[in-house]
Amino acid sequence: MKNKIINWFLWVGLIVIVAIIPKVFGAYYVSLIVTFAVFAVLSVSLNVLLGFTGLLSFGHAMFFGAGGYGTALALKHIAGLSLLSSVGIGVLSASVLALVLCPLVVRVSGTAFAMLHLAFAQLMYVLALKLRGITGGEDGIGNFPIPPFTIPGVVSFNMKGVPENFYYFAMIVLGLSVWLMWFFTKTPFGQIQVGIRDNAKRIDYLGFKVSHTKAVVYVVSAAFAGVAGSVYAIFHNLVSADGSLGVLVSFQPIINTMIGGVGSFFGPIWGTAIFQILEEIIVRFTDRVELVIGVTLILVIMFAPQGLAGWITTLKQRFFSASSHKLEKIS
Amino acid sequence: MNMLETKGLYHDFSGLKVLFDINLQVKEGERHAVIGPNGAGKTTLFNIITGTYKPSKGKVFFKGKEITGLKPCDLCRIGMGRSFQITSTFNRLTAFQNIRLAILSKRGVRFNLLRKVDKIEEITRETEEVLKRINLIGERNFPAGALSYGKHRALEISLAMATDPELVLLDEFAAGMSRDETHNAVALIRKLTEGKTVVIIEHDMDVVFSLADRITVLHYGRILATGTPDEIRRNQEVKDAYLGDLEV
Repeated sequence: MKNKIINWFLWVGLIVIVAIIPKVFGAYYVSLIVTFAVFAVLSVSLNVLLGFTGLLSFGHAMFFGAGGYGTALALKHIAGLSLLSSVGIGVLSASVLALVLCPLVVRVSGTAFAMLHLAFAQLMYVLALKLRGITGGEDGIGNFPIPPFTIPGVVSFNMKGVPENFYYFAMIVLGLSVWLMWFFTKTPFGQIQVGIRDNAKRIDYLGFKVSHTKAVVYVVSAAFAGVAGSVYAIFHNLVSADGSLGVLVSFQPIINTMIGGVGSFFGPIWGTAIFQILEEIIVRFTDRVELVIGVTLILVIMFAPQGLAGWITTLKQRFFSASSHKLEKIS
Repeated sequence: MNMLETKGLYHDFSGLKVLFDINLQVKEGERHAVIGPNGAGKTTLFNIITGTYKPSKGKVFFKGKEITGLKPCDLCRIGMGRSFQITSTFNRLTAFQNIRLAILSKRGVRFNLLRKVDKIEEITRETEEVLKRINLIGERNFPAGALSYGKHRALEISLAMATDPELVLLDEFAAGMSRDETHNAVALIRKLTEGKTVVIIEHDMDVVFSLADRITVLHYGRILATGTPDEIRRNQEVKDAYLGDLEV
């Protein structure tokens, strides 16, 4: 009960902090935080596959990109489209892409799953470059109109040119996404998903259909990657092959998840934060950001293979052995 | 009625013939043991019955209906449970979460995305009842992988049982257990399988002869004999092939 009250205070505190950030900090930090939130959602959606179902994808960018291109194309070609519907179309494109792929990918796991995704993501990347008529090739799609956020007859917030408004919009959409994914992992379905990670054979013998379960998880994960991509496209008013479909966009969330902790729900969010702060600091001293990040990743894998979240759990167990029941939380 | 029946079952692994013309009948409510030397084809027979492999030839019937080629998940849903020779649990999940997965399956809670699983009280209660019955309530929050060997095996057996199947197949449940652990496991199985049909594979002859109502002896992929423990004990062929001078 006491814990519950403390939790409530923490959440309210977090919401207040998120709400006042644009009033206190400048536009630069506001955009930094939106970028953080976008990649946090992308990393969490990847971790729903990697940490909770045991499926490593080297091509998660294709869903991020599908969301971005879907939204950008819709805003460019459909006049009078509302902001939320444009995000919806982005999410839909990512989900449809996942639905098309899932009959194939649920049959494989491990290395085959990872490499298959690398191949599909590269295919999407090349398509985005080559289908110039639709995707704008290397230039991508930019300067599409961004509608205001309207609740008909009540209010209307202008999104273009007012970073503060967009910040609130992005935070609500992305925050809601994280909450939905968190809830998803807590449902009975989420338990079956974790069972597949641990022992797919046993799940089969317990009467659950492994491939159906994987397919649902896959589509859900893709849909939320689509949310991230869609918000990212509106945020920059630009979607490009390199920025949304490139190989680095696939690897970024994997690195974030590794640093934060595979299998811990909030780990990838911590990972994304650490990664961004590191990057912010490193660029002040050297251009070789990748070098430092790479070394950090190696150190994390060597000394804290469960990432930051796992490391904290280990510390807690060492110092407060009474809380050893927290072991439950890792899984 | 026969709970389980195989008719003319043959199986080969790319040329290696493992089973020849297996006609097995398991009556409703009986405890049936399958024994035989290593490599006799016992586990292969289990794998065919529970849907891991498709037989090269022949048919399998469960409660009078043909089930040849059905998948393990379909078989579980119509009332068949199975435990493995090599312990196969969810090692990073707690004992509680392990059993809860079986209870979720039993109650048909699968694509429920609207409630938190921790908040479904019936499921928590039933899972705890099962844990109490198998003496694992004290290890409720232990990851399955951290349980002692005997307890881990008990969890394995209970996973097969917790979906409340009519037919349970137990593959060498006592393998690697100490005397005491075996004794406890036998008691546990007696308790859990009340009113169920059970097929076991076992090497421990004490267990087999104390637990089984009927015994089938497999030898190089063929059925050598089927009968009550007394008949099997007296059967000269079985003595020559397998039991030897073992006093049982």
